[in-house]
Amino acid sequence: MSERKKVLIVDDDPDFVEGIKAILDTEYDTEVTYNPKDGWDALKRGGHDLLCLDIMMGRGAEGVMMARKIRKDPVLREMPVLIITSLREQIAFLFPGQAVHPGFVPVDELVEKPVDPDLLLEKAATMIAAAEARRAAQ
Amino acid sequence: MSEPKPRLLLIDDEEVVLDSCLAILEGSDHEVATAPGGAAGLELVRTFGPDLVFVDLKMPGMSGMEVLEAIRALDPTIVCVVFTGFATISSAVEAMQRGARDFLPKPFTPDDFRSMIRRGLDWRRLLVEAASLRREREALRENFAAIVSHELRSPLGAIQQNLFVLLKELAGVATEDQQRRLERMSTRLSDLLALVNRWLRGFSVDFSNLKDNFRPVAIADPVARAVENAQPEATRKAVTIEAEADPEAVVVGDAGTLAEALLNVIGNAVKYSREGGRVEVSAVRRNEKVVVSVTDTGVGIPEADLPRLFDAFYRGQAATSSVGGAGIGLAVTRRIVEAHGGVITATSAPGRGSTFVIALPAAGSAAAPPEGPSPGQVSKGEAG
Repeated sequence: MSERKKVLIVDDDPDFVEGIKAILDTEYDTEVTYNPKDGWDALKRGGHDLLCLDIMMGRGAEGVMMARKIRKDPVLREMPVLIITSLREQIAFLFPGQAVHPGFVPVDELVEKPVDPDLLLEKAATMIAAAEARRAAQ
Repeated sequence: MSEPKPRLLLIDDEEVVLDSCLAILEGSDHEVATAPGGAAGLELVRTFGPDLVFVDLKMPGMSGMEVLEAIRALDPTIVCVVFTGFATISSAVEAMQRGARDFLPKPFTPDDFRSMIRRGLDWRRLLVEAASLRREREALRENFAAIVSHELRSPLGAIQQNLFVLLKELAGVATEDQQRRLERMSTRLSDLLALVNRWLRGFSVDFSNLKDNFRPVAIADPVARAVENAQPEATRKAVTIEAEADPEAVVVGDAGTLAEALLNVIGNAVKYSREGGRVEVSAVRRNEKVVVSVTDTGVGIPEADLPRLFDAFYRGQAATSSVGGAGIGLAVTRRIVEAHGGVITATSAPGRGSTFVIALPAAGSAAAPPEGPSPGQVSKGEAG
């Protein structure tokens, strides 16, 4: 029995966080921060297998800035990032639920708020498994 | 900060009029410029930036009427008053129609002149204020999307997210009736979120930022995406969609929004087709343009509705039920097409069908929009 994977949620809306945390809690160890700064500190401590990142935080798209920072970090850039946002991306509007890669970080996907629980679990599992496979191949 | 002095411009070919006006204004709190004719006057309108202009109607060269029209075209908040040698009703009326605020018959007393200046400048203040209010309202409208999306969608999303969880957690625990009510709540909330989204799209999404993401796009790509998304509804109605796209037809734009624009048009074509109908989509390069046409054999659009077809819904509902509901999608489509430097038109024969044509500047043509700055990111993976 392998250890439970660890998911970090960074989102400034506590009610929304409760909603996705309850879903992810069924299969993962979850950690939550409510702003990008704490989120960054948590990431730096390490040990996460997936980051669930909100885009519109604080005074604008602070989530994007955090993603850019991750992109520049030689270690963290390997981590899959699931963007969870109510920002209505054009492509997400057209193809709800399909794989959409915003390209903020090397590995990311996007789901829209509110997110269907099964879709969330499926995305999380796929992204974590893909990251493991990449590591194993190296 | 002290208020800038009001600026007056006097245009008259009679030197004696200009001189006497200057004499009246001596010591007053105005900046004054004068011009002996229409052309010189207009030049000063541009460089001097007057609040109030007095124009003589009868001048050699450019006439007072022409000056009025030119000023109105330059800046309609500049107030114009005409000097009239012989105050005929007809010339005064014509001057007012061409944008003059008032007229001052010659000869006039210093008091006439001063009170006309006061009234003119009052009017100018009102016009400037009104213009800035209009700008503010526009800005509000633009920001509306951002405000509503965050302030309204966030709480709705949070509630829905928790309902999703409750539904899952309470499966088998809640009574059937409780479960049903939770499901209803979730459904109603989904409807509300969808409504807010539709409304937002139609109301105030700013497509001008799109240009930052412009890339060369083979039109076949958005066409294929749009057709794929229209297919389920077409299948339900047994409508055949036939699409043909020239692989060489390339535009500069944003593939996602182009697909959205095309989906709106193709989706409408399916929606207004009869059972078993056909929708033809073709995309070809024609000279400097890439032309996408969508033809259906559906109910068609009454001629009277065609000119308003692309107006956003809030400007007035098209009266007939046959185009009802098309308002938002087509308005958004037009905005997307225009953001790409293109044009969308529609022709229709009621009862026999409609054709929508989207003409976009071909990549490499003079009219093609420039590509956006390189974002310095990994390349975008394509959807689906």
